[in-house]
Amino acid sequence: MSWDNEIDEIKQRRKLAKQQGGKDAVKAHHQKGRLTIRERIDTLLDKNSFDEIGEGAGVPDYNDKGKLSDFQPANFILGFGQLNGRKVIVGGEDFTVRGGSPNPAGLRKSVYTERLALQYKLPLIRLHEGGGGSVGGTNKEKDRRPLGDPVFSESRFVPLAETLSAVPVASAALGPVAGLPAARLVASHFTVMTQNAAVLIAGPQVVKRALGHDMTKEELGGPQVHLASGAIDNLAEDEDDALAQIRRFLSFLPDNAWAYPEKLTSQDKADRCEDMLADIVPTNRRQPFQMRQIIDAVVDRQDGGSSFFEMSRKYGPSLITGLARLDGESVGVIGNDCMYYAGAMTAAAAQKLRRFVDFCNSFHLPIVSFVDEPGFMIGPDSEKAGTIRHGTAAISAVLQSRVPWASVQVLKAFGVAAQAHFGPDGYVLSWPSAASGALPVEGGVAVAFAREIAAAEDPAARQKELEDMLAASQSPFPRAEGLSVHEIIDPRETRPKLICWLRLAVAAMQTATPGPYLTGMRP
Amino acid sequence: MQVKSEIAGSVWKIIAETGADMAADDVIVILESMKMEIPVVAPKAGKLTQLHIAEGDMIAEGQLIATLE
Repeated sequence: MSWDNEIDEIKQRRKLAKQQGGKDAVKAHHQKGRLTIRERIDTLLDKNSFDEIGEGAGVPDYNDKGKLSDFQPANFILGFGQLNGRKVIVGGEDFTVRGGSPNPAGLRKSVYTERLALQYKLPLIRLHEGGGGSVGGTNKEKDRRPLGDPVFSESRFVPLAETLSAVPVASAALGPVAGLPAARLVASHFTVMTQNAAVLIAGPQVVKRALGHDMTKEELGGPQVHLASGAIDNLAEDEDDALAQIRRFLSFLPDNAWAYPEKLTSQDKADRCEDMLADIVPTNRRQPFQMRQIIDAVVDRQDGGSSFFEMSRKYGPSLITGLARLDGESVGVIGNDCMYYAGAMTAAAAQKLRRFVDFCNSFHLPIVSFVDEPGFMIGPDSEKAGTIRHGTAAISAVLQSRVPWASVQVLKAFGVAAQAHFGPDGYVLSWPSAASGALPVEGGVAVAFAREIAAAEDPAARQKELEDMLAASQSPFPRAEGLSVHEIIDPRETRPKLICWLRLAVAAMQTATPGPYLTGMRP
Repeated sequence: MQVKSEIAGSVWKIIAETGADMAADDVIVILESMKMEIPVVAPKAGKLTQLHIAEGDMIAEGQLIATLE
């Protein structure tokens, strides 16, 4: 007697598992221009590094003699792998089996994903394409297990929530993603979707029945919707681009909250000074400039381009957020984009900022802030959006920060919202174009001196006179005299000055033992 | 190709004329929003077939500004 039969059965089961939903289902999937989950995982990871978990999990069929006659694999694939030489955990629905709507083994594997990330403290990557539960449940009629989970079991949402404080989480939507997979998708630090993906709470048929809207799934939850809603950070040209963006995102981060990010050897000179910075800000304050050009000129150049990796460009677009390398260190970068409402803080920009600052704090990323803040967005839409509360919450997040902050005041820093750009014990550099105060002169003078202007012989001339006088008081020079800023600098000096600061700031930060970042109630 | 405004504001100045051949990033109109002059540019090269706004018009987010072919 030997175990040959059983060993053969293991081989047989492995073979069946690799067939996924069968040849026809895989072919149909490819015809839609999509990779299967196994192909996606292989594309994402370093070659031959996938180490699968639960390969034998699935829904079996036995014949009368109790022998395995068929096997539907779990429609969630999960395992460890290497990404640029670093260990990660990766998982995703198999759309070729039941359209990714979980079968019992698939559900268990999907729920295990976050626990595994928490247990081994490794970055988590989820590649989503699938639906949630169906009204009929995930059990076949013949499977008469007790219904539901026991009251003493832990909710599957506990580890889902906890991973965000513990390990970097990056997820992609690579087709239709609905229900529980959609919830998983957004429980991430970084989300990316392809052009033909859709993210939905419920699909078109359910929406039509409940609300009467006749919409396609792309209209309901395509990229146009979710890049602006903030549910998804970035758009990818195709699946390869989505996976490349995930690799790039994770390259900036440590394995978990108990470690500092790795410093790379910078390919760029620390004392590089860009001449274009000296005149990029127009002297006429009505004319805009491109903040991204400033960011790109200051951060490290890497592989022939900028190391800046922007996230959430279409959501709250008056604020720019992203990751970059500076002197080889990972940093979080924020900046106002005056092309959108002069860079004013909208409710969406405030939520984007709060989330980004919490993320930087979770993984010990120093923050470099390029400031051109005219204040909170004003007007009826802004009031209706509750901007004041979201904005104050963002300010709280900034001022509760424990990571080093440097702020480069490029142009405006006005009103309460300006506080959202200067962290505690921050290093502050001011460009000669900087202007600070309670209100920008252009709007403030007309209101504060309304009577005086109206009573003047030449109201327009008096207004101009007052504006010039007050503009002088908003100049950065008196602030430098009063040590309200560390230095007023030639804009070309921005990079070398920031690098000098960063070296000190990182060394000081790393005297502490790193750990998860937990905060209390905010406005 | 429809060119829409990404911001609310008013039309300050129309720069391009109907029928003009536009290169990518050529300015079509300049909006005034939050006391700043914000250009609306051609996203791709094309012929400007129609302007849907006039100087002084109030513009909402997402409003159609121009059509390019």
